[in-house]
Amino acid sequence: MSLIARHLEENGVPTVIMGCAKDLVEFCGAPRFLFSDFPLGNAAGKPNDPESQAFTLALALRVLETAPGPRTTVQSPLRWNDDALWKLDFSNIDQMSEEELAERRKAFDDIKEVAKKRRVQDGLKVHAAE
Amino acid sequence: MTKTDDGMGIAAPHDTPVPYRERITNYYLALGYGKPYQWAHYADVPFTPLKKPLSESRAALITTAAPFQADKGDQGPGAPYNAAAKFYKVYSGDTSEDHDLRVSHIGIDRKHTTAEDINTYFPLTQLRKLAESGRIGSIAPRFHGAPTNRSQETTINQDCAELLARVREDEADVAVIVAN
Repeated sequence: MSLIARHLEENGVPTVIMGCAKDLVEFCGAPRFLFSDFPLGNAAGKPNDPESQAFTLALALRVLETAPGPRTTVQSPLRWNDDALWKLDFSNIDQMSEEELAERRKAFDDIKEVAKKRRVQDGLKVHAAE
Repeated sequence: MTKTDDGMGIAAPHDTPVPYRERITNYYLALGYGKPYQWAHYADVPFTPLKKPLSESRAALITTAAPFQADKGDQGPGAPYNAAAKFYKVYSGDTSEDHDLRVSHIGIDRKHTTAEDINTYFPLTQLRKLAESGRIGSIAPRFHGAPTNRSQETTINQDCAELLARVREDEADVAVIVAN
């Protein structure tokens, strides 16, 4: 999504990205970014919490209109929960057993096969990087 | 904020933004994929100032979510990763209507998120409220869906160009892009 923001901005359209992966967006280099420190998939606010969703979009618009220059990141003050232990889980091999890694290796091979078939079916060039 | 017992309000060691690049790189190395994914990065970052106040601006909404497809397997809520639900071309939808969009095809945090509430990844309802209140001038007539599964080359040369063309067609002044 950072690539899209960059392309729009290069062509005269101001953007704001709403996202949960601070390092990925900042690594690419984004014009304006509202970072919500939530599990991936909740860039627009917490589930079943319209107040959090309204707050998040309102803050994104503030970032859009007030950012002084590129690479502006604002972090939402909202918290997912108090202990923040969810942060230890995502793709963290330190938390996985050898058995779990083996299962995941097999699942990943299966997923790649499905994606490859879809692309061939759609007549598209197959890319290795995924 | 998670606090340690030092009485100084300092957060716990794990309570920082998740280092996804490091996690994902190490994860795939552990799965036996020797060539780590290379994320694109740039030394220069473009920036376009707003041309008019938001209250007079038309806002485009860009999402990575996919339209629900009944024949493409479990798409949630709570679905495992579902590559069959991916899409490969930019699509658009009428912002005056409600849509059933899902995120089973992208790398959300499946342990801590079920994606049961579309408003956590597709803020059309909230955007409508802001248009009604006059906070933004209007919502562009269409939202746009961006494919997430291709190479960076395809994203830049094909998808970005297509999205820009559609945003311009809709005469949108600004774009809100929701990553997932």
